[in-house]
Amino acid sequence: MDTTNGSAGPLAPALAPAQDGQRENESGGFRLKLCTVCASNQNRSMEGHLRLAQANYPVISFGTGSLVRLPGPTVTQPNVYKFNETSYDSIYRELEAKDPRLYQANGLLNMLGRNRVIKWGPERWQDWQVGMPRVKHEKDQGSVGMEAGVPDVVITCEERCWDAVVDDLLSRGSPLNRPVHVINIDIKDNHRDALIAGGAMVDLADSLNKAALEERSKVGAVTFDAGGAASRASFDERVPEVLGEWQERWPDLPATWTLSWF
Amino acid sequence: MAADTTATSASASNISVAEQLEQLSAARKLVLENSTYYDRIVKGVLPIIGPTAPLELRRWGAEFLAESLATPVLAMRDKENITVAVLDTLRALLDGAGEDAIVLKASVAAAASAYPVALRWIIHNSYHTESWEQMTAIKARILRIWDGAPAPVMLSCIKFAQRVVLAQTASNGMEQKYHGLDISLNLIPANHPLLDPRQLEAEATGLLDRMLGVLQDNSSDALLVDATLNCLSILSRTRPNTTYRILNAVLNFNPLKLANSPMTPKTRVFVKSLEKTTRVFLTHFLRRDPNNALSRRIQQYLEKLMRSRAEIFDDAGRKRALADQAAAGHGDAKRQKVEAAGVAHISIPPLGQGPHTLAGVFTLTNSLGLQAFDATQLPANLAAKISVRTLAGLDQQVLDFAIAGIRDRLTSLHAARAAAAAAAQPMVYNAATAPLGVEEEDDDYEPDLTPAEDTEQILNKLDNAPPEEPMEPTADSGVAMALGPFKLPPPPTLDPDAAAKLSQAAASRVFGPLSVLKEGSALRKPKAGINRLAASSYDRDSWLTLITRLATRSTASLDLDNSSSNGSIKPEDADTALDRSRGMSLGDTIREMLYTYILEDWRRRIEIAVAWLCEEWYNDQLTKRSGSGGQLHYEKWALRLVDGCLSYITAQDKVLTRFLAEIPELSRALLGKLKALCADPTTVQLALTSLLYLVMMRPPVREIALDTVAEIWTEYEDARPLAAKYLVKWRPGFIESQTRPPGDEAMSANNMAVTT
Repeated sequence: MDTTNGSAGPLAPALAPAQDGQRENESGGFRLKLCTVCASNQNRSMEGHLRLAQANYPVISFGTGSLVRLPGPTVTQPNVYKFNETSYDSIYRELEAKDPRLYQANGLLNMLGRNRVIKWGPERWQDWQVGMPRVKHEKDQGSVGMEAGVPDVVITCEERCWDAVVDDLLSRGSPLNRPVHVINIDIKDNHRDALIAGGAMVDLADSLNKAALEERSKVGAVTFDAGGAASRASFDERVPEVLGEWQERWPDLPATWTLSWF
Repeated sequence: MAADTTATSASASNISVAEQLEQLSAARKLVLENSTYYDRIVKGVLPIIGPTAPLELRRWGAEFLAESLATPVLAMRDKENITVAVLDTLRALLDGAGEDAIVLKASVAAAASAYPVALRWIIHNSYHTESWEQMTAIKARILRIWDGAPAPVMLSCIKFAQRVVLAQTASNGMEQKYHGLDISLNLIPANHPLLDPRQLEAEATGLLDRMLGVLQDNSSDALLVDATLNCLSILSRTRPNTTYRILNAVLNFNPLKLANSPMTPKTRVFVKSLEKTTRVFLTHFLRRDPNNALSRRIQQYLEKLMRSRAEIFDDAGRKRALADQAAAGHGDAKRQKVEAAGVAHISIPPLGQGPHTLAGVFTLTNSLGLQAFDATQLPANLAAKISVRTLAGLDQQVLDFAIAGIRDRLTSLHAARAAAAAAAQPMVYNAATAPLGVEEEDDDYEPDLTPAEDTEQILNKLDNAPPEEPMEPTADSGVAMALGPFKLPPPPTLDPDAAAKLSQAAASRVFGPLSVLKEGSALRKPKAGINRLAASSYDRDSWLTLITRLATRSTASLDLDNSSSNGSIKPEDADTALDRSRGMSLGDTIREMLYTYILEDWRRRIEIAVAWLCEEWYNDQLTKRSGSGGQLHYEKWALRLVDGCLSYITAQDKVLTRFLAEIPELSRALLGKLKALCADPTTVQLALTSLLYLVMMRPPVREIALDTVAEIWTEYEDARPLAAKYLVKWRPGFIESQTRPPGDEAMSANNMAVTT
C-alpha cells in the first residue's frame, strides 16, 4: 500500500480492537459476524462496513457486480475497475489525477478516501471462498472476530444483490453446512441514502445481536418440547421477528430475508 | 507450540474456564493461520470439550469441530484423518441427554460435514468397521432428535439429512468437485462388504421425503421452508433421481398462503421471504436446466406467483415504482449532481477568436465536463426523448434568450469572416477506462457466469467501447442544414390512348376476382324473390351483379350531363363526344369484357347474359324516360350475344329457348337471327321450338314470333314442314294465303310436296 493509506491505516484498526475488547467484556463477548454486500463494494456496502465496524461488529464486505463501476464524466463513460485487483487507494489517486474538481464535487474522492482506510480494495462476492481464513486482513476495519471468514448474517443493499447472493449460494451447493441469514435492505445508490442506511444497519445488527445474546445466555438443558414462548425462542427463529420490528422503525428501507447455507 | 500449551492446559483442571477459552481461541487462531496444525490441535482439544466439560467449553468445542470439518483449506485426506478422529467425541456430544441447543446445532452441523467424508473413508477402507458404526450411530441419533428439536437444531438436522441424501444418491457429475459434494452413490461398489448401495439409496429416498414434508404440509414456518429450499438446489441439479420429486413438491407448495392471515410485521417478512426464496430456487433451476420436462410448469408457476405477489404487495410496489420513475425521468440521481446548478441563469459569452466547431457555436454551458460531452454517443431515441422533454419543460424566455445569443454569435462570426473549417478534436480517447485495459478482460474472469451478470457484462463492454463516430463539424453553419420545400415531380401528361389503355387495364382487374371466387350458393338457397339483395355476399354471383351494374350504370359520363341525372341511379350515356374521342368508355370496355366472359362458356353463363341484358334494358328505359337522348345499349348487345351464341349452337342447346324466353325484350331483328339456324337441318327444330315457346308463353311477342316462323316457312324449304305445322295451329290461313296469290303453279307444287 502507499503513504496515504499507511498513515491513516494504523489509526482506525488500532482504535477498533481496544473498543472491541471493552464491548466484548460488557456484552458477554458474543458479536454476530456480519457481511455487507452491494454492487460495487464502494458506497452502500462500505458505508455499512464502516458503521458496523465502528460498532464493534466483525464485518466483511463485497460487491456482486462483474466489475467495479464508478460514475465518470458522463453517464456513458463510467470508470471501470476490476474487483480484487484494484485498491481503493489506486482508484483514488487515478481519479484525483484525472479531474479533481469533478470527482471532488460528486463525492467520489470523499468516498474512496473513506474506503481506503477501511480495507485494501473492493472484493467480489462470487470470487470469495467462504471459510477461507482471513488472517491476512488484520488491517481491515471489522477484521477482529472475522478470522474464520464465515459471517452469520449477510446484509445486501439492493434486491438485485440479494438475488445474486442467494442464487450464488445455491450454485455453491452449501458445502460448509452452515446456516446464514441473508437480509436485503433496499438502499438507493447515493451518498445520502447510504449514510442513512448505515445507521439502519447498525440498528438491525444491534437488534439481531441482542437476540443472539439472549439465546447464548440461556444456559442449561434443552427442553425439546418447549419452543413456545418468544423469550425462549432461538436466534434463528427470532430473526424474522426482529427484522419485522426493525422494518416498522425503518419503513423506507424495504427488507427481504431468507435463511440460506454456506 | 500453541498446541502443546493447549494440551497441557487441558490436563490441568485448576485453570478457570475463561482462561481455557482464551487458550483455545489462541489455538484456533493458530490453525487459521497455518492449516498444518489442524490435525494436532483438533485432536488436542477433544479431551477438553467432551460431554463432561463445562457448557462454554462444549459450545466452543462443538462450534470449533463444525468449523474445522467444514474448512475449505484442508485436502480430503487430511479431512478424513480428522473426521475419523472426532467421531467418538461427536457421538458423545450428541448422545448427551438434555444437551444445550447450541452444542447440538454445531454438533449436527459437524456431523453433516463428517458424513460424506466418513462414507468415502469407508468405501476405501472397508476394514475400518468401527468408524462406520460410529457414523451410523450418529446418523441414527440425529434422525431421532430431528422431530421436536429446537429450531436451530432442526435446521442442522435438515442439512444433515440433505448431505446424507446427496451422498447416497446417484450423481450426474454436474456438481463441483470440492468439500465432498461429489461423494455420491456412484462411488460405492456393488460388492462392498459394509455398504449396500440399494439400501443406502432407499434410505436416501426416505430422508428426502422427510425433508420435503415441510413443503408438502405447506408449512408457513419460513425458517424451515427457506432452510429446506436453499439446500435442495444441489440435489435437484446433480442428483437426477431426486429432481422430479423435489420440483413436484416445490410446485405444489403455496408460499403465499400466509398472505390471507392478518399481516403482522413478522408475517410480512415471512410471506416475502417464502415467495422470494421459492422464486429464486425455481429460476435458478430453470436457468441451469431450461430444457427440463417440468420447465413449462415452472414457468407457469412463476408467472402465477408474480401476479399474486403483485396483488399482495401492491402498495409497496407502487411507492417504489414512483421513485424509480422519477429517477428514470431525471436521470441517475448519483450522476446528476455534477453541475446541476447554473442552468436557470444562462449567460452566453461571445465566442473568442479562432475557429469554432459547430458544436462550439451552439454550446451554452460553461461546464467543461458538459462541453466535452459528445451528444452523438447517445442513441437516437434517447436523444429524441431528452429533446422533447427539455423542450416541453423549457421556459420560453430562456429559449428566446438562448436563440438570440446564438444568433449574435453567428452574426459576429459572419462579420469576422473567420471562415475555414475547424477540425474539432473528436473525443476518442476515453481517459477514464483506457489505462486499465479492461477490454482484455474476458469471460474466464467470471468463475460462474450467470445470466444475471450478463446484462452487466454487456453494459461494461459498452462502457469500454470507443465512442461512435464523432459528428463531423460543418464550417458553414445553418445553410447546409436548412431543408428546402419539397415538391413531388408532376405526373406525366396523360394522352387519350394511354388513358384508354389504363382504363382497360383497370376494367380487366374488375374481372380478376371471378376466377377465384366460389360459385354462389344461390342455386341451393330458396329465392328471395323481389326482396333479394343484389350483392350481399362475396361470391361470384354477387361480384357479377356488381360488374353488370358497373357496366350499365357507371357514372363515367356524369360530368357531361349532370342536370339530367335523376336520383341515385345515373343514366348510362357513356358514348359521349368526349368518350368517343378517347375510344371506348369505361362502361363499354366492361361490356366488351363481359361479353367475352359470357361467350367463353356461354352455355353455363347464359344466366349472366340474361341478368346483364335485364340491367341494360332497365337503363335504356331510364334513359328514354329522362329524355336526355343518351345512347341505348340493350338492342345492340342482345344482338351481339345472340350472334355469338348462334355460331356455336347445336341441336341440343335448349338453353337458347330459355334465353329467348327470359331476356326482357325481343325485337324482330333479334328473332330474325334465328332464321339463320334453319339453314342447318339439325338446328331447325331448335329454332322453331324456341319460337313456338315464345308464341305460347310470351303473348306480347307472339306476333313477331309468328312472323318469324312465317318468314322461315317462306325462306327455308327444309324448315317448311315443321313451320307449317305451327302456322296451321297458331296462324290459320297463313299458308293458304301464301300459296294462293302466286297462282296454281305454286299451289300445286305445294300440294305435291304435301302429298309426297
